[in-house]
Amino acid sequence: MALHLNLLHEEILQQRQRQRDPLKIGMMVLGALGSVMLAYYMWNAYKTLEIRNRLGQAQHDWAKVEPKVTAAQKRSAELNSIISTTKVLDGMIDNRFFWAPFLEKLSKCVALNAQLTGIDGTIQEDGKVTAAIDGLAAGREPRAAAEELRQLLLEQLGQSYTGVKVEFKSLEDLDTIVNISGTSMAMARFTIGATFATGTAKPTPAPAAARTRTREPQS
Amino acid sequence: MKQLKVKLTKDQIQKLGLSGMGFIVLVYVYFSFFLGPLNTSRDSTLRQISDIQTKIAGSKNEMAKTANLEKQAIAATTRFAALKALSPEGAPIAWFPPRIRTFFSGQEIDKATARMENSAPFKEKDLENWMRYSWVIDLPQADFSTLGKAVAALENSEPLLSINRINIKALPEDPQFQQIVLNASTVMVKR
Repeated sequence: MALHLNLLHEEILQQRQRQRDPLKIGMMVLGALGSVMLAYYMWNAYKTLEIRNRLGQAQHDWAKVEPKVTAAQKRSAELNSIISTTKVLDGMIDNRFFWAPFLEKLSKCVALNAQLTGIDGTIQEDGKVTAAIDGLAAGREPRAAAEELRQLLLEQLGQSYTGVKVEFKSLEDLDTIVNISGTSMAMARFTIGATFATGTAKPTPAPAAARTRTREPQS
Repeated sequence: MKQLKVKLTKDQIQKLGLSGMGFIVLVYVYFSFFLGPLNTSRDSTLRQISDIQTKIAGSKNEMAKTANLEKQAIAATTRFAALKALSPEGAPIAWFPPRIRTFFSGQEIDKATARMENSAPFKEKDLENWMRYSWVIDLPQADFSTLGKAVAALENSEPLLSINRINIKALPEDPQFQQIVLNASTVMVKR
């Protein structure tokens, strides 16, 4: 068997050591890892740029839509305001108390032997209507004539309103005698107070003519 | 079993440590200064896109709703315009008394006068652009029938006017005629 002598073993060892240098290997690994990381970063950066492009497009779309939306929102708010305002105003209109039907009913109650000298009607805070009706009644029994008017008024108002109360505030005989159709009659002065709830009567074109007439007091 | 033992010199251990530190620094720098901010930026952009897309989708819905509301509100807008038209331009004190005088003249009641008592804004939010005016309307002479017709016509032609008080007194010298005072309130557009 031939004998081999390696005279370069030191050099070979050094070369092997150089090849196994941990710093060199580490740098190579780091370089490789760095390259992979850079590639991954670039890929992500590309994706991010793509997303930013999408954002730009979306912002462009929104910029086109936004004025229309703002106008639509403004119009919507305006319409809602109009609707609610109209509703409130309609409510006020519908809840009004119409005096013309009341005057019409009142005129229907006044008989030939009665005369109204004053009416003072007011709508109260609670929505009720109060009316003070002053007048004169004539007849053999003037108090009965006044009572007839009160009852008729109660009946007439009761047909259209709720919570109707009609009562005398005062009723007094007068010394004055009047001549009606050639007959002398005694007179009584009365004040009737009427109270009822509003919101039931509807407006009418016009009340019927009042049966009022002049009376000549006879001394 | 054969065990592989790698004997590292001190120099080699130092170099390995150095490489390890380099690796840590690389990873730290990469995630902290490159990939991290990039991801944050991407997430933020995605959120913005999502927000904008939500707004765009919502806006389509909003516009459809408005168009629908516009159709539904035709009656209300017409009515509102009609009610608003009852209040002409200018101060009510300038045009309301002449209008009342003209109205009652047309009803055969002359010398009607209207004077303003007060005005106040509404508390309701829906009526913030409207005002309530109180008026005293004097009718010096009218017979009951004519008055009834006139009041009916007034109530029918002026929907925003409501009579709160009516005071009728027979004239002492001519009981056929009455003197009337109406306390009325009107709702008018704030000018």
